[in-house]
Amino acid sequence: MRTKTATAARAGASPSGRRRPKHKDNRIAFAMIAPAVILLSIFVVWPLVYAWVVSFYQWSFYESSVFVGLRNFRIVLEDPVFWASIGRGLTFSAITVPAILLIAFAFANLVKTMSARMAGVLKVSIYIPSVISFVIASIVFVLIFEYRQGLLNFLISSFGGSDVAWIGSARTALLAISVPAIWIGLGLASLIMLAGLLDIPESYYEAAEMEGANWFQRTFFITIPLMKNILLYVLVTTFVATIQQYELPLVMTQGGPTQSTLLPNLLIFQKFTNDLYLGYPIAAALLLFLVLGAISAVIFKLINSEKAVDG
Amino acid sequence: MRTTRAVLGGLAAMVTVGLALTACSGTPEDSGNGGGDAPDGATEVTFWQSQFTDEENEWYESVVDAYNESQDEVHVNLTVVPADAWEQRMTAAQAAGNAPDVRTMNYGDIRDAARTSQITALTDLISEEAWSDLQENVLESVSADGEHFGYPMLVEPSAVLYYRTDLFDEAGLSGPPSSWEELIDYAEQLTDDQVFGMRLAQTSVDMSWSTWGYQWNVAGHLPISQDWSEPAANDDFAPLLQAFQDLFDSGALPPGDGIGYADATPYGEGEFAMMANGSWAASQLLADYPEIAEVTEVAAMPSFSGEPGETTATLGGWTWVVDGNSDVSAEAADFIEWSLGGDPENVVPFFEATVFSKVSPRQSVADVIAELPDVDSINPWNETIQTDIVPFAQQEPAYPWNVSLAMGEAIEAAMQGTPVDEALATANDKIATEIANSELAGTGS
Repeated sequence: MRTKTATAARAGASPSGRRRPKHKDNRIAFAMIAPAVILLSIFVVWPLVYAWVVSFYQWSFYESSVFVGLRNFRIVLEDPVFWASIGRGLTFSAITVPAILLIAFAFANLVKTMSARMAGVLKVSIYIPSVISFVIASIVFVLIFEYRQGLLNFLISSFGGSDVAWIGSARTALLAISVPAIWIGLGLASLIMLAGLLDIPESYYEAAEMEGANWFQRTFFITIPLMKNILLYVLVTTFVATIQQYELPLVMTQGGPTQSTLLPNLLIFQKFTNDLYLGYPIAAALLLFLVLGAISAVIFKLINSEKAVDG
Repeated sequence: MRTTRAVLGGLAAMVTVGLALTACSGTPEDSGNGGGDAPDGATEVTFWQSQFTDEENEWYESVVDAYNESQDEVHVNLTVVPADAWEQRMTAAQAAGNAPDVRTMNYGDIRDAARTSQITALTDLISEEAWSDLQENVLESVSADGEHFGYPMLVEPSAVLYYRTDLFDEAGLSGPPSSWEELIDYAEQLTDDQVFGMRLAQTSVDMSWSTWGYQWNVAGHLPISQDWSEPAANDDFAPLLQAFQDLFDSGALPPGDGIGYADATPYGEGEFAMMANGSWAASQLLADYPEIAEVTEVAAMPSFSGEPGETTATLGGWTWVVDGNSDVSAEAADFIEWSLGGDPENVVPFFEATVFSKVSPRQSVADVIAELPDVDSINPWNETIQTDIVPFAQQEPAYPWNVSLAMGEAIEAAMQGTPVDEALATANDKIATEIANSELAGTGS
């Protein structure tokens, strides 16, 4: 009897022998997700599979491909310029991501305390940089950082300081391109954080205040724990966006001076346009994909994401 | 209600600002197209030219129009591509299978492009008469394995010293520097709050090609062995890297300003007392900055030994090639021959428009230009360039770009403070890697 029931269950029939009716929304559900699946397959899955295939070939647009096994990956992995660019990307993220998180968090707290009208003005102000293209931002900041006629050096010299080669020196160039990256990244991070802040019930703060908790205690024991998922999301997306940044160094410094702003994607881009064969950029892009995926996984693991108790 | 209006107002403002900024930040379009509409039944040939000066762009458009009007079987469509977007646009077009049938190309890129089948051999597609009209050494620059892969349009020395006589007089300097030691000394003397002493290439990319002549001069060889089997970025190049470092440290050579080596604008705007630039800068200075041109003289870039008559420049230039995947290579070659290799009168206006700052590699064109009465009055620097620079210039090297880039990066690193020997050792390693990765050994001349 037991065997018969199990067999019936495996066959998809109910223990009573009647077939379980299909869920009546299944067809609609499949139809709804079909466009996304098809588009993802065309624009994400297939290119990714194709990239992996091509990465094993010496490939150009004019000659027949030659299978070279792991040669492209070996060349990339043995290239100190690639590893230096990964390290530089991590440094760039280490500068920009904490700055974006801290400023956005402070800004969101500030907006929360404002009147509705003032909050609206502030939200628009902080979001405007997000709709400016990186190319335009790059040009604006080049004008600001220019050596002799730049706005920043004009201000410094008016206080008696001497000109600084902000984007012309290997010592300061990475820091200089971090500024527009932070400026542009603030908008979205601030609005997401504000949404998270507004989602926390006001009664928690009222209760804490009645218990005598000061602002820091309320922030560290109520706000941050309840915004954990928001912070994790902003952290991961901002990290991935910044380490993949290439427009700013492309326009502002072309990766120089002395490759001090050559971020990973800009290196791949340069290799794509300069190299006779395209094995290097494809292998490098796939390796960067693996590095980013691994780092994101580590972040998720370290900051264990879980649903807020009463969020 | 008030809140709703405020929110809607804010959104409207954001959308407006966003749209405005998006409009501003759109991808720049190709500037200028030529060719007009193709007649029925005509074979269409696409032609991409890198964007040059306005005068040059006008000549390209006029020669395409003239060719299209001269017959009705082939119709050429011209596209002008911004120089700084060229590589991206071309690679994207090649990836999509839409590369133009004809395009402009540097001499230095010919060998690599031929080796990887990116361009078509034109030996049999262009008449022997047109080939035989070319100077032998220039023809070699477009040849590989016994085939000609491009038709040369012009040659121009990559490094000419332009200097301000008014500022030299003020500083008590009587003439151009004859050695790099003097160049550094003069540059320091000429630097003040308003003017920098010397303009050279400021990025590794520009240093990679604009210093070929200096590399020849200081070392007597280039940083790779002749057969491309061994790296040769050795201590012979140290004085060159040291000179860039000294100039930068003194403040006479400023940090990069984002303007490429080939653009003479900063000198024309009066920001520099001396400038190294190609002969092409003459046309820009004479056309756009006549007041600065009035107080400018030219000379050969100094040698490291201090002796005149040494190589300090390479002869670069532009050639037209046919894409390796073109389906209309015969028609494309016909257009090239008609424009560059046919009637000299088709191409002489180009040299007139560029105030004879470039040289034709064709004997018959050079003969026509030599007969013109006013070449030296149109370009007051022409004689010096032709006498003191061109005869001593070397052809551009044909090895892969990454070899040149390794040296450019070494010079930039030294300029930024890296010890010279360390910078050269890094360059040597990079060139060795390039030789191995691109399997260059034995493929050189």
